[in-house]
Amino acid sequence: MLSIENLNVYYETEEGDVHAVDGVNLELERNETIGLVGESGCGKTTTAKSIIRLLATNGRIADGTIEFEGTDITELSDRQLRKQIRWNEVSMIPQNAMNGFDPVYTVGEQIVEVIRAHESKTSKNEAWERARDLFDRLGIESDRVTDYPHQFSGGMAQRAMVALALALSPSIVLADEPTTALDVVIQDRILRVIKDLQDELNSSMILITHDMSVVSETCDDIAVMYGGRIVEYADAETVIKEPRHPYTLGLRNSFPDITQDSQELISIPGVPPDLVDPDEGCKFAPRCPFAEDQCWEETPQPEEYGENHIVECHRADEVEHLQEEAKKRETWMAMKDDPNAAPTKDVKDVKDVNQPADTLQEGSHDD
Amino acid sequence: MRKFIIRRIAYLLLTYWAFITVLFVIFRMTPGDPTTMYVVEGMTEAERQATLERYGLTDPLHIQYLNYVGDLLRGDLGFSYRYNTSVASILIIKFWNTIFLMATSLLIAYSIGILFGAYLGWVRGTAKEKGGLLLALIFRSSPEFWIGIVLLSVFVFRLGWFPWGGIRAIGAEAPVGFTSRYFNREFAYHLFLPALTGAIYYMAQPILLMRSSMISVLNSDFIEIKKAEGLSPTRIVYKHAARNSMLPMATVIALVAGMSIGGSLVIETVFSWPGMGREMVESVHHNDYPMAMGAFFLMGTVVIFMNFLADIAYVYLDPRVRYD
Amino acid sequence: MSVRDKLSAIGETMAIGDSESSTEGSRIRETIDAIIRVFRGERMAQIGGVILLSFILVGLFAPMLAPYDPGEMNRGEDGELLRLDAPSQDHPFGTTNLGRDILSQVMYGARVSLIVGLAAAFVSTVIGTNVALIAGYYGGTVDNILMRLVDIAYGLPFLPFVIALVFIFGSSLWNIIFVISLLMWRSSARVIRSEVLSQKGRPYIESADAIGASNLRKMYIHILPNVLPLMVLYMAFGVAWAVIYEASIAFLGFGDPSMYSWGTIMFEAYSTGAIRFAYWWVIPPGVCIMLFVMSVFFIGRSLEKITNPDLRH
Repeated sequence: MLSIENLNVYYETEEGDVHAVDGVNLELERNETIGLVGESGCGKTTTAKSIIRLLATNGRIADGTIEFEGTDITELSDRQLRKQIRWNEVSMIPQNAMNGFDPVYTVGEQIVEVIRAHESKTSKNEAWERARDLFDRLGIESDRVTDYPHQFSGGMAQRAMVALALALSPSIVLADEPTTALDVVIQDRILRVIKDLQDELNSSMILITHDMSVVSETCDDIAVMYGGRIVEYADAETVIKEPRHPYTLGLRNSFPDITQDSQELISIPGVPPDLVDPDEGCKFAPRCPFAEDQCWEETPQPEEYGENHIVECHRADEVEHLQEEAKKRETWMAMKDDPNAAPTKDVKDVKDVNQPADTLQEGSHDD
Repeated sequence: MRKFIIRRIAYLLLTYWAFITVLFVIFRMTPGDPTTMYVVEGMTEAERQATLERYGLTDPLHIQYLNYVGDLLRGDLGFSYRYNTSVASILIIKFWNTIFLMATSLLIAYSIGILFGAYLGWVRGTAKEKGGLLLALIFRSSPEFWIGIVLLSVFVFRLGWFPWGGIRAIGAEAPVGFTSRYFNREFAYHLFLPALTGAIYYMAQPILLMRSSMISVLNSDFIEIKKAEGLSPTRIVYKHAARNSMLPMATVIALVAGMSIGGSLVIETVFSWPGMGREMVESVHHNDYPMAMGAFFLMGTVVIFMNFLADIAYVYLDPRVRYD
Repeated sequence: MSVRDKLSAIGETMAIGDSESSTEGSRIRETIDAIIRVFRGERMAQIGGVILLSFILVGLFAPMLAPYDPGEMNRGEDGELLRLDAPSQDHPFGTTNLGRDILSQVMYGARVSLIVGLAAAFVSTVIGTNVALIAGYYGGTVDNILMRLVDIAYGLPFLPFVIALVFIFGSSLWNIIFVISLLMWRSSARVIRSEVLSQKGRPYIESADAIGASNLRKMYIHILPNVLPLMVLYMAFGVAWAVIYEASIAFLGFGDPSMYSWGTIMFEAYSTGAIRFAYWWVIPPGVCIMLFVMSVFFIGRSLEKITNPDLRH
């Protein structure tokens, strides 16, 4: 249904072009849920927003195609994009629902507005009826459609946002960290609500998160992103249980695994790479405990390991060794002290690498 | 909410009392009295005393003050030396002349200024924005009399499209009745240039304010969602972003409406507009204190009331504001 | 806190950036650095600076630069008074109805605007800042009383009040400056007070407390340097407003009769009815007022970008 090929998205800055998305390929089937996982700034949000071309003014799709049921979205005029794709086919749920609503209109008015903007035949009353119905199905009292956003609690606002996102029964929902701002119990409930409705509407979803535990329960496939590329792609179980990329291994270490009772959390030292006019070589090499000379010099290409399991790593075939070593804290900690492991090309990075950056643990960073 | 309004009303009364007192002090300090200008020359000292007594000017100051406040409360603004009639009867008409002039000016200024400012916020970073900003700054740097004189020179002296001044054709009788006085073509024709002068001068503020307010609103998350919803840019700018940026604007409109009353002095003088402001300037020139004081009193009343409205408007308009 | 705290400045919403408070001396240096930066990086400020500088030079050297005495009634070769002469080589801006040289009057007029603008802005901002420091620092009843005073000042219609007072005290230049300052302090008082309130809660005041600093010391040595950028900003806008007010007062006929202010020149042109045709009598002073005020706004806006990082985009 949706097919992204060789997508490149650049942001123009004073220092040069930031290659936020650097050759991404992705296929999404109807009723499928794909998780895009990675740290802040890895390009996951940009990838998702490119699908509706919702980029900041300095951003542009430099190369690649995004085909939705045969139409190349990158080729559409602004008007066509607005009328045919945005919200009609692809809607989104933002991280903080409260800020996603215009504070001076009621939630109902905003749902009705988007319905009427796209369906000229639907009457005002029908639109209000649909808004009530959506509220009902999402477990909010239907009378609350006339409330202002600030009158909702965080969890309720997020449900109301889901109602808005599903108002036009879209084919794809882009959910950008939809539950990060909420507490764990509510997170679970909201995710279940989204899943149920998604099944009912036969929609697909791209779930963006930095949280491995969220994707493992919700997604069919998982794409792990690093430095603007998908470094590992497979079905959820494979990515969780049998990952091959060292970054995925590290990421997995830094989140509690529900199948294991006691597990030591280890975070990956260092910070995401600088994506301004990047050089050749694996972008994860500076933080990778397994990096070899080849990794610094040559950008790894996607290789298939088993059905539907794609990895971009020169050492992916040494999977057993990697998986074994990656479980040990020493493997990762050694990185911090080893001056040779730091990238030599950029002085700024050297400084940053030495700081204990628990970017993964802090959660909720914006991309 | 109620507590907030009660406190504001208490402040309002306090301010108003202080204003009346200031007014009294100012005009008692003024040099000259009615006998120096309006009484026939060669009057004897006794006659002079009699005149002063008639105007209550021989009483001790505190009595004068109490009489003055008492009269104001009864709506009596005193007796004009120059017109030889009650101040209120002259000012009632001039008051409305001023209100119509300034209200029209502000209406034009804010309706155009808000739309244009919202547009500048939307196109920020472009040459259009820079040009618009420059224009706003030029408007804002021009005193009202300068704008008025430029308009006069072009539209009256060069093109002859509009009358020089006044409120109706010279020699024409004033129509009787409030509506027939103001709602006719003759009035609108005379109103156009002075109102435009005020509009240009007061337009800069809503443009600049709206623009900066828009820029911060346009960075909000909800604007991105509205874009993702596929709404048209016009709808996003005017229905959502501008609507949010308008919240502070309501307060400003009330404040400026008050301030503009003082500014009417200049426009009215340029266009010989028979309003309160011009009346005050002339009365000061002619030592007619009761008249000047009456005009000042009415203008201050408008200012203070508008400031009060501004405070109240703010809490009413934003559903999110808490009152304490 | 009143709504208007957030909206004063008769113009923009001005909220000072949340820059980290640092030691006093360095804060002053930062302010000066910021002002220098404004002139380096901002095209608008540069243009404003050049225009303002030329006015300052013309004002300072008016007696040397002006081709005639502004009060001199010039006569033509035939001995006739040069009444309302259109611009010529001898009189580039023409003459008035009394044969006075308009160029010379306009040059002398720059002095009035400079003096009134700078003096009124300085006096009113100093008053306003002191009121703000006292109100914000002591809070409670003191704050309440001072803020009611501000309310009252806001309740007085500006021009009518100024005219009434100028009439009482006489229309000398210094009276005009005094009277303008008497009302203009209100806006800086209100906005700077809000900033003082937020500064008062910062840790550096707590540490000053801990070492037993006196109230005066905390107010003037610790807090004042931190509200200095805002003060400079208000002074800049104050110059612009004071010049407009002076011109308006003079245009209404209440200017200092012993001086040639741009407003007075236009008052004469207007009251003699010469504006019907004598464009040369009206345009030069009008354009000068506009350019002068604009130059100050240009500088002020750029300053504002430094004090309020939100506007930088």
